[in-house]
Amino acid sequence: MNAVLLDNVCKSFGKLNAVDNLSVQVSVGRVYGFLGPNGAGKTTTIRMIMNIIRPDSGHIEILGDGQIEQVKSRIGYMPEERGLYRKMTARKVLTYFGAIKGVNDKELAQRVPQWLDRVELADWADKKVEELSRGMHQKLQFAVTVINNPELVILDEPFSGLDPLNQDLIKNIILEMRNEGKTIIFSTHVMHEAEKLCDFILLINKGKLILDDTLDNVRSRQSAHTVSVELEGDTAFVENLPMVTAVKSEGNRLDVTLADADTQEFLKALMQRARVRAFEVKVPSLHEIFVNLVGASDAEDS
Amino acid sequence: MQRILKIARREFVETAKTKTFIIGVLMAPVIIGAIIFFTSRIAGDKAGPRPPIQVAVTDLSKQLAENFEISFDDYNKGNPNRQFLLQHLDAQQDANAVQIQGKTRLRNDKLDAYVVLDQDILEGPGKIRFYTHKPKPTDFDAYLTIENLFRKAVENRRYQIEKLDQDLIAKLRYVPIERVEIGSADDKEQIQTPIQGIVNMMVPFFFMYLIFLGMVGTGQQMLGSIIEEKGSRIIEVLLSAVSPFQLMAGKILGLAGIGITVMALWFAAAYAAACWQGLNVGVTPQLMVYFVIYYILGFLFFSAVLTGIGSVCNTIKETQSLMMPVMLISIIPMIAWFKLVQSPNGTMARVLSFVPPVTPMVMVLRLASGADVWFVEIGASILLLAVAVLVVTWAAAKIFRTGILMYGKKPGFFEILRWLRQS
Repeated sequence: MNAVLLDNVCKSFGKLNAVDNLSVQVSVGRVYGFLGPNGAGKTTTIRMIMNIIRPDSGHIEILGDGQIEQVKSRIGYMPEERGLYRKMTARKVLTYFGAIKGVNDKELAQRVPQWLDRVELADWADKKVEELSRGMHQKLQFAVTVINNPELVILDEPFSGLDPLNQDLIKNIILEMRNEGKTIIFSTHVMHEAEKLCDFILLINKGKLILDDTLDNVRSRQSAHTVSVELEGDTAFVENLPMVTAVKSEGNRLDVTLADADTQEFLKALMQRARVRAFEVKVPSLHEIFVNLVGASDAEDS
Repeated sequence: MQRILKIARREFVETAKTKTFIIGVLMAPVIIGAIIFFTSRIAGDKAGPRPPIQVAVTDLSKQLAENFEISFDDYNKGNPNRQFLLQHLDAQQDANAVQIQGKTRLRNDKLDAYVVLDQDILEGPGKIRFYTHKPKPTDFDAYLTIENLFRKAVENRRYQIEKLDQDLIAKLRYVPIERVEIGSADDKEQIQTPIQGIVNMMVPFFFMYLIFLGMVGTGQQMLGSIIEEKGSRIIEVLLSAVSPFQLMAGKILGLAGIGITVMALWFAAAYAAACWQGLNVGVTPQLMVYFVIYYILGFLFFSAVLTGIGSVCNTIKETQSLMMPVMLISIIPMIAWFKLVQSPNGTMARVLSFVPPVTPMVMVLRLASGADVWFVEIGASILLLAVAVLVVTWAAAKIFRTGILMYGKKPGFFEILRWLRQS
């Protein structure tokens, strides 16, 4: 069973195709990083998954059900636009949202203090939301999202507005939830966080899917292309090697981009001409992959 | 359903805690009590002082000067703060010349009023002609008094000519009236003061006003609550847990609870105040039943409309232009209430009874005025209102669903029509 299934989903706002024929399958028990530049259609897609807006065409299934309203109590959703009742206390907000998500009173009496404790807000439980700092607000929002112990958690930019300590706090909870077999989809701009958390990467640009694969696969496919080397003596020859497409020098180090060639061939070529002091096949960061892929897709369009 | 109730409960509790609500609930009975208390004392109130008013008179009949003096002296003695200074502009040969002189002085602000009595005023069809120049609204009261003083002078002169005894006439004309409400038993008889007449007029108005306040007041709370959820971006979190319809239904239900609570409190307060002042408020149980039915339907209609309005706006300010037509229609019965109470089965009352937003107000007004309203009319108006509630709720649900996530530009009329056509 797929946790989420999108089949040829389209949504346009006036002339803008916000989501263009998107088909995605999200497997149960995995963490998905949902990436894309601003305005790529991430939030629109997530809202359609949550049945907050309806697609113009296409089919969506959540937790094996086409009727999203039926399974809402099994989903936790944290929207990009955060908001809680400002005049209510943290405890009451959490209890209220738990209640309307279908958690019974007995369960809530246990879970609310647990979660307040877990997100380090126990001391603030009876303070009004408007008295909380932005970071606390964010953590409370996260607790609201997961108070119903959801099978599927969808987080739109969960790390924005959090300091590194709190980012780690949320990250650890996400990892814990993955270990419990929950499916997590989150969108983010913080690439290094995505890198540490994701099993799968979904990258969209201008409403179209441009990457849907495991993080490992994405990396190995991209990794062979960049090598960092340090040589003794004159390095001018490197640029003229047949397999080299670009060279960027940073002090002694050279960052070399290769055209589809085997890195071992390149090393051999270097060793014939100079002494190699260091040789490192670079694993591209998600950041670079993002920049490359989105750049390429934009170039294709224009 | 359980979720709807949860939403309703929160809406109720949070609204009941706001300052506006508490002040509104507490202040309204205080104000109503104060009005009832002061109306009973206002009757004996004397008008305040004003500067003396200059009046000139030209008596073409040449017989009345003495009577004027008596009338004006009497008045001036009784009202030292509100004097009239009377001067005589007597006609010599040319009656026109003196009138032109009088009017000129009036134009030059030397006079506040100029009065000419025709030559045949006493025995023929002659008139008292009363001239003013750019009259001030504050002087109207004084003008009425001047008119009366002159009329009385002419009257008295006529009595003298006919040789009639003025005191005798006054005695003959005096017929006192005592109004008594007999109540359910002999010992319940109550002499009615003039204020009771006012109360009898006011009770229907009060009922209508309660409906108006209830609908509009709680409607405003609805607007505020939607705008808050929209403004602080809570909507999306809510919609991740419940459907838009559940959210809307919960809100309406919660605020209906508020409305009924407020209504009960006000009603109790008004009833207590009336009893305290010994006023008889004729309210039958039947009227109360109709009141509740009309109030609930009216409330549902109103809150559905406001839900629609609230969901397409981002700030309270933006809602105002959309609220304007709704409010304009709603205050029609407030403006026309006097006419409606006087002829509760008139054409206007009947027609307005079938205009949904004002149906509850007009029907309650008619029923409370004690008129026999044909039962078919009652039934039909309730039915029509109920159908209107369903239609408006349906439309509001559609607008709510789309509008609530729209930020930025307010959608136009045609765009909203498009939403209604969407599935």
